Amino acid sequence: MVREGDYVAIFNSIHRVMEAERLLKERRLSILLIPAPRALAADCGLAIRYSEAARGEVEAALAGAGLLPRELYRRQGEDYTKVEEEL
Amino acid sequence: MRDLDVRGLSCPAPVVSVKKELEAGGGGLRVLLDDGAPRENVTRFAKGRGYAVQEEPLEGGFALTLTGGAAGDAGGAGGAGGAGGAALPQAGARCGAVLLISSDRMGDGPEELGRLLMRNFIMTLLEVPELPDRIFFINTGVLLAAAGSEVAEALESLGNRGVEVLSCGICLDFFKKKESLAAGGVTNMFSIAESLLGARSVVRL
Repeated sequence: MVREGDYVAIFNSIHRVMEAERLLKERRLSILLIPAPRALAADCGLAIRYSEAARGEVEAALAGAGLLPRELYRRQGEDYTKVEEEL
Repeated sequence: MRDLDVRGLSCPAPVVSVKKELEAGGGGLRVLLDDGAPRENVTRFAKGRGYAVQEEPLEGGFALTLTGGAAGDAGGAGGAGGAGGAALPQAGARCGAVLLISSDRMGDGPEELGRLLMRNFIMTLLEVPELPDRIFFINTGVLLAAAGSEVAEALESLGNRGVEVLSCGICLDFFKKKESLAAGGVTNMFSIAESLLGARSVVRL
C-alpha cells in the first residue's frame, strides 16, 4: 500500500482523517486512505498516503482547512522516517 | 517434476496457475515465466507456502523450480481466479478459509463509517500472515471489486499472493458493473455455494 518515497500522514482522530480525505478528494488530489502501518501506531488506525509529486498541493489544502496531520512519515526502505520539518 | 509454462500471462494469472498446479499435488513443479512481476509474485507466493525456490535464467524469462511445500496444499482448492476475465472455480472445489463479503460496508451504523471500515479491513488483509484462499463478493460487495473502488489495488495485490478474488456475476450485472470489473474474476452461485459448503471455515462480512 505504501511505496518507496510515499508520505503517510497520521491524524489525531477518525473525524479529522475522514474530513481530510473528503477535502482532498473534492480537490481531486491523488491520495488514498489506508490502514496506518503497524509501526506507526495511529490512535484511529487510519492514515492518508500521498506521493512526493502530490505533496505540495495536499499539504497546502490541509493547511488551508486547518487539518494538518499530527505526524508525517516517509517510507524509506523498510522503515518510516518522521518528517520533522514544519508543515 | 512437472512443467508449467505461464510465459506471456499477466498477473495474477501466473500465481493462480501455479497455485492450482501445486494444489493438484504430485511432487515438484518447474515454472517457466517472465521476469518482473510474475517472477516476483510467484517466488513470494511459493516461499510463503513453504516451497524451496530455485531460479534458472532462460532465454526470455526464468525457470523456477519449486520443491517441498506445506503439507496442506495437495488436494486443496482447485479454483481459478481470473486475470480480469470470467473465471469459475471448478465444480466441487474444496478449500480452507473463505471470505464472503456481502456488502460494501462493514457492520451496522453510519454508511460512511461502514464503507471506511470495509476498505480498511480489505487493505489490512495485506498485512496479516494467514490469507483466505478465496474472497467472494456478492450484492453491494461487488462494488469493491469494480472500477472506481479504492481497494482495487489491494485486491490485485491479494490476487498476486494467491487469493482468488471472485465477484458474483448476477450482482455485477444488476449494478451494471459487468464490463468494469477492476480486480479478480467473475463467478456464479453454483460455484459460490459449493465453495462455501466445502470450505474449512467461512467468514461472512
